[in-house]
Amino acid sequence: MILSKAEILYGYNEGKIAIDPFDEERLTTNSYDLSLGRRLLKYTEEVIDPRKENAFETFDIPKEGYMMQPGEFLLAHTEEVIGSDFFVPLIHGRSGVARLGLFIHVTADLFDIGAHLRSTLQLYATLPVKLRAGMPIAQVSFWTVEGEIELYNGKYKSKEAPIPSLIYRDYDTDEA
Amino acid sequence: MILTKHKIQEEVSNGTIRISPFDPASLNPNSYNYRLGPTLKVARTRGDDSVSFEEIRIPREGYLLAPAKMYLASTFETIGSSVYAVSLVGRSSIGRLGLFVQCSANLGHTGAIHKWTLELVAAKPFLVYPLMTIGQVSFWVNSKRTDSYHGYYGSFDIPTESAHRQ
Repeated sequence: MILSKAEILYGYNEGKIAIDPFDEERLTTNSYDLSLGRRLLKYTEEVIDPRKENAFETFDIPKEGYMMQPGEFLLAHTEEVIGSDFFVPLIHGRSGVARLGLFIHVTADLFDIGAHLRSTLQLYATLPVKLRAGMPIAQVSFWTVEGEIELYNGKYKSKEAPIPSLIYRDYDTDEA
Repeated sequence: MILTKHKIQEEVSNGTIRISPFDPASLNPNSYNYRLGPTLKVARTRGDDSVSFEEIRIPREGYLLAPAKMYLASTFETIGSSVYAVSLVGRSSIGRLGLFVQCSANLGHTGAIHKWTLELVAAKPFLVYPLMTIGQVSFWVNSKRTDSYHGYYGSFDIPTESAHRQ
């Protein structure tokens, strides 16, 4: 089941949901609005190879905004640190942002229960779109679970963001 | 409700969820990591706008996906449940590299138990390897008694094109 606005607020007040910073005004019927953080990350490789560490550069969104071009791919992050040890968060684009032709993640909407992070966003533009730090860009919803809970203990721990892919680390131990 | 790691493990053990082959090390707190199957279907477009698919085996040294082009792939594992609905997405480690896994259709019907077709679209040129860990499947509780899926796509274990005629 998905939590309602009142249940998200209740979960926040009880300490079962972490959203930092938190502003009650940002609660929507079934979710909470998340803002775009300042830092962007761009891969500088011609070809992305998941078996190696891909080179990248990071930069801050300037005051006048950053104009993203069609076909461009960037990692960004939410300003808020979010997480829960009781519910599973799912990250969605805001419909107003999607209508500008901007994907805010290319595939992975699912948060692990117990992960407390600034969510790394996977931005992909299909039209020219201006990014501004602080713009409301995504929404997080919270879902109830069935079964005994084991908290996230994975490789994306840092609250610094965006975090590039660490998949190459899997290949030290993984034959795949 | 979404199943936790322990509940997924329990339901695999008693046969309510099928994941085959199954490796407990691939369980996450609320999902299971699935692998990419050994073949891809590569779309070929002709001058008359018709599209056909050519099946290729992914070589050990990898296959280079061209950006903004759609490839059909499949899960290596047979996955499904007659009790739970499934959602198949990419791993965050793969999304962070700009590979779309599933173009918007991530919901799997209760009762469909097979190797799922995946749509792959790369933002930048991207190397895929056979049997790489590419995505995550989560399992969701149905609210009432369910009717199982008996549709067309559920019978396929290979990357399967759309049945829509153009």
